[in-house]
Amino acid sequence: MNSRLLLSRFGASLSAARRPAARLPRHALPAIRRYATSEQHTMTVREALNLAMEEEMTRDENVFILGEEVARYNGAYKVTKGLMDKFGEKRVVDTPITEMGFAGIAVGAAFQGLRPICEFMTFNFAMQAIDQIVNSAGKTYYMSGGNVPCPVVFRGPNGAASGVAAQHSHDYAAWYGSIPGLKVVSPWSAEDCKGLLKSAIRDPNPVVFLENEMLYGVSFPMSQEAMSADFLLPIGKAKVEKEGSDVTIVAHSKMVTHSLEAAEELAKEGIKAEVINLRSIRPLDIDTIIKSVKKTNRLVVVEGGFPMFGVGSEICAQIVESEAFDYLDAPVERVTGADVPTPYATNLETLAFPDTPLITKIL
Amino acid sequence: MIRPATLHRLAYPRVSSNSLARCRAIPKRALSSTSPTYLNEHLPKSTSPIVSNPHFFNSVTPDGSGIPTYRVLDGSGKVLEGAEVPEVSEEMAVKMYENMLLLPTLDNVLYNVQRQGKISFYMTSHGEEATIIGSAAALDNQDEVLGQYREMGVLLWRGFTLDNVMAQCFGTEEDISGKGRQMPVHFGSPAHHFHTISSPLATQIPQAAGVAYALKRDPERRGKNVAACYFGEGAASEGDFHAGLLLASTLPSPTVFIARNNGFAISTPSSEQFFGDGIAARGPGYGIHTIRVDGNDILAVLDATRKARELSLRDGRATLIECMSYRVGHHSTSDDSFAYRPRSEVEDRKRIDNPTLRFRLWLEGRGWWSEEKEKECKERLKRDVMKSFKRAEGVKRCEVGELFGDVYAGEEPWMQREQRAELASLLRKYGKVWGPWKKELGKFRNEGEDLMGKA
Repeated sequence: MNSRLLLSRFGASLSAARRPAARLPRHALPAIRRYATSEQHTMTVREALNLAMEEEMTRDENVFILGEEVARYNGAYKVTKGLMDKFGEKRVVDTPITEMGFAGIAVGAAFQGLRPICEFMTFNFAMQAIDQIVNSAGKTYYMSGGNVPCPVVFRGPNGAASGVAAQHSHDYAAWYGSIPGLKVVSPWSAEDCKGLLKSAIRDPNPVVFLENEMLYGVSFPMSQEAMSADFLLPIGKAKVEKEGSDVTIVAHSKMVTHSLEAAEELAKEGIKAEVINLRSIRPLDIDTIIKSVKKTNRLVVVEGGFPMFGVGSEICAQIVESEAFDYLDAPVERVTGADVPTPYATNLETLAFPDTPLITKIL
Repeated sequence: MIRPATLHRLAYPRVSSNSLARCRAIPKRALSSTSPTYLNEHLPKSTSPIVSNPHFFNSVTPDGSGIPTYRVLDGSGKVLEGAEVPEVSEEMAVKMYENMLLLPTLDNVLYNVQRQGKISFYMTSHGEEATIIGSAAALDNQDEVLGQYREMGVLLWRGFTLDNVMAQCFGTEEDISGKGRQMPVHFGSPAHHFHTISSPLATQIPQAAGVAYALKRDPERRGKNVAACYFGEGAASEGDFHAGLLLASTLPSPTVFIARNNGFAISTPSSEQFFGDGIAARGPGYGIHTIRVDGNDILAVLDATRKARELSLRDGRATLIECMSYRVGHHSTSDDSFAYRPRSEVEDRKRIDNPTLRFRLWLEGRGWWSEEKEKECKERLKRDVMKSFKRAEGVKRCEVGELFGDVYAGEEPWMQREQRAELASLLRKYGKVWGPWKKELGKFRNEGEDLMGKA
């Protein structure tokens, strides 16, 4: 495992110099229209998240938002823009800067029957509230014998952004993904964000909703169905974004973009890659992956987190334990972030995470 | 905790607490200052008056003395001069007293039951009966309570039965708190408006602010109910305490915070837990109306809690009560407190300042209680507790399959279904033929048939 991981990492560094234009500027990720049918709306991820909250707050009076500067300032990333004006300060609540405080408020309010959406400026800061998320939100329904549900959504940007160093760049999917009692969602497109956030708000369980800062401004097509106020996507189901027969690529969040681009590159060489957008980390839709592996006989898992004990590790383990193992023609490959605290230097940071050329090269 | 010397003093006592002894070694600097004040000048974002002398302060009282402790009854059950006895009927006073007797009766039985290995863990309330019952009696029974773990008395006051207590501690199928999924004393009951106890310390404090926020949002309960949050002085060292008080005061939300300052955080004496003037000194820092009360005086606790509740409801804001008492019992059954405090200190405390005796003397002075009633009540309570305990010993646990239930509300994900199915297949294979499993399954309701199917 290690040798392959290291090889991937050094392979990336070594080839970096030879592909000066390989990496797209981060603010200019292209709008992805390729998989859409004609005459569709487009929407940025930020707008989709905002719309999902607006629709759910209109639908259910018990839904409210709290966090640092979510109200008058419209949110650090403007995801809650306009919501205070529409719903008032009682339902869009600015709080002092204490994560364990406002996460605790959210958990208590959920115990008492409200449906809070707790925004963290980034999930890196949610570490200061992780006891409330894991021990209180995640375990109380079980420990109370089913007496006390905790329908809360913890949401905010997760994983690496750009030039913000190690303490702002951590992907926590694996952390929360290991907790029974939590549901964990890691959406990619605008449709994902709208449908999954609406489902998360309606879910009777605590849901950790991991967004990606780099995707907030990216536009995606929205189907007629997705524009409806009743549009829900099921938590716990992955989506096959591109069908193929030669290799399965499983990714979540921003890595879906890179995986799809890599699949396009490979198509030029006649390799048909199947790309699965995980959407949910927990419950993990392992059945969709097993089905795909049985068809393609090869599996590559791509994520923006660290390699050890990660989402890829879990998928790899579950595949090895399943009937899909007998269908594998090659070892499962993990493509992950480098096993170092994220570097601040732009050139090193770029090399620390998978991107389209790296995924293409490994495939 | 109150020094013995102050107990029989009739005058309103100044604070005199061992836990505060270290602070008193340094003279308190009062806030008042004689320097000229320029009232019309202010800094931006501030209403603080400008002065011309550098003056440090380290006290929330104007004269730099310690925060006083409110008391109604002295150690001999007599009303302090100038004190007003809160309104309390004979019926209510007797109910309060009987609950004060019930707590140690239950505690003694369950403590010994733990020592016999029949339950895994227990925590007694010895020494804090007045704090717990007095505050419970002051609250409305619909007020949401978020306890720490030593507040069984609140549930008893609200009609949580002895069978409910035993079922929780023994983890039987009758456990309405958590289907046997929690350690003993981790009670919870939505019917009694008592939130499930959480082991990590102080998490209930910000949650209480959230619960109170939800009450304020509910038209049915707005202005009618508060969230009452209990915690020890040790828990007040956790970041959650500061976060919780800050949020309750800024949201704001009608939360009554009740600090049980019993002198010890497990083995750490409160003198090592903080350097300032106890927990009460922190309230004004968060803009919260605060009172320190003699936690061994049930009438003072009753009155202070009632007034705090009224303030919280009137203003929709938080209040803080610091109840000064002494933990006579060990922290829990996992603790032997004589390793860090002399047995004589505990014995002295029990003799000199017994909260139950103090209240009994007052009751007897009014003719509401007597030696005969005492004898009859203690015998009755002991009989009831023993009956309930013996009954609980014979009750089975929940079905084995409950192990996987309630991890998620709503539709059950595949992980739980798969694990249940795996256990079921193992039980079908070995459950009836392998001795140890067969014997163990006998302890569960339906003896594993919920998973294995009927024989």
